[in-house]
Amino acid sequence: MLLDQQPAYVLHARPYRETSLLLECLTRDHGRLGVVARGVRRERARLQRAQLEPFQPLALDLLLRGELATLRGVEPVGMPLRLAGDAGLAGLYLNELVVRLTGRQDPQPDLFEAYDRTLPRLAEEGTLAWQLRRFERDLLASVGYALQLETEADSGEPIMPEGWYRYQVEHGPVACTAGAARVIRGADLLALAADQRPDAAGVAALRRLMREVIRFHLGGAELHAWRVLAAAMSRR
Amino acid sequence: MPGSPLLADLIEALRCLPGVGGKSAQRMAFHLLERERTRGLKLAGVLREAMERIGNCTRCRNFSEEPVCALCANASRDRQVLCVVESPTDLAAIEQATGYRGQYFVLLGRLSPLDGLGPEELGLAQLSARLGEGEIEEMIIATNPTVEGEATAHYLAQLARAGGVKPTRLAHGVPLGGELEYVDRGTLAHAFGSRQALE
Repeated sequence: MLLDQQPAYVLHARPYRETSLLLECLTRDHGRLGVVARGVRRERARLQRAQLEPFQPLALDLLLRGELATLRGVEPVGMPLRLAGDAGLAGLYLNELVVRLTGRQDPQPDLFEAYDRTLPRLAEEGTLAWQLRRFERDLLASVGYALQLETEADSGEPIMPEGWYRYQVEHGPVACTAGAARVIRGADLLALAADQRPDAAGVAALRRLMREVIRFHLGGAELHAWRVLAAAMSRR
Repeated sequence: MPGSPLLADLIEALRCLPGVGGKSAQRMAFHLLERERTRGLKLAGVLREAMERIGNCTRCRNFSEEPVCALCANASRDRQVLCVVESPTDLAAIEQATGYRGQYFVLLGRLSPLDGLGPEELGLAQLSARLGEGEIEEMIIATNPTVEGEATAHYLAQLARAGGVKPTRLAHGVPLGGELEYVDRGTLAHAFGSRQALE
């Protein structure tokens, strides 16, 4: 199957054979694809190699056959995005999250849109953690693990802003008492549902919640980016 | 290879070299057997010795058969500057192209969560300890200008500041002899953004 001018991002590239790259790409219409870019590690193909970096909106011409696609053409779309500093580390986290939580060739147009929306937001000053939480929410929803944020798990009662809840993965929020372990305020759950940034404590609580959910869906595994981010943040 | 399983083994073994496929491996094997027996034996000996004895320098992590490599042990090199590179080939490139006379640290990779490479794999605790020795004043961060190389540079800069060392980064720009029309957008945007005043 020939794909023309497919909107896509490169998530990861690794050397393949002598002069080629094996790319993981997030495409708009075909989800995550493994793409072989032949000969782009040759000196003469330096220009093409530079375009195949993560975080750059691209239009790819691909030949999709079997498990892998072959790159036939690449064109950058719009201005290159520069994610410097912590935004760059956060971007690598995003990419690991997408690769680990999605399968190849599983179309997810919502996910592509969420990714496309999130990248420029990572560069915004002071809202990095919140932007990651929003993306995690959208990613989980698009791969079929949407969080239940507005009603209680068993009773179906609406979540109360002043109430305290424990979130049970694959079940939902259950009301509990304020002092219990791993609890979250109703207001923070509702804030995430309504896409309204809560206070710093709320963002931190949502981060703990998301980690627990993501770890569950990874079968208990850890993301490597968590180690990197934790070490980077600990030096502040 | 009909008749000689050992020859077949040799051809198969040669294919581990970069750029060597079945055909080239066969040519190499025949060439050694027909014309270069003595040098073939020498190659075998050196190869074995190198594979067994070459490890990593305990100070800079570059390849070395001694615990401390010749470059680290060289007293005439500047001990106040440390250049951090991703790989031994990057170190060689800098040695050949610049008059740099300081020390090195080789990461043997870059921060790349998807490849499972984090601070531990890159020996960053070792690097921190070296910065903590107090001799180094400037750390030149010479990781590659890729997304992962930049993220690594950012991380290393934090590490340097925490150790009271001034971090510097290689400049990015338009290649010498290049024409702007043919420079990729990212490089051009970067070069434009970090333009310098003409003295």
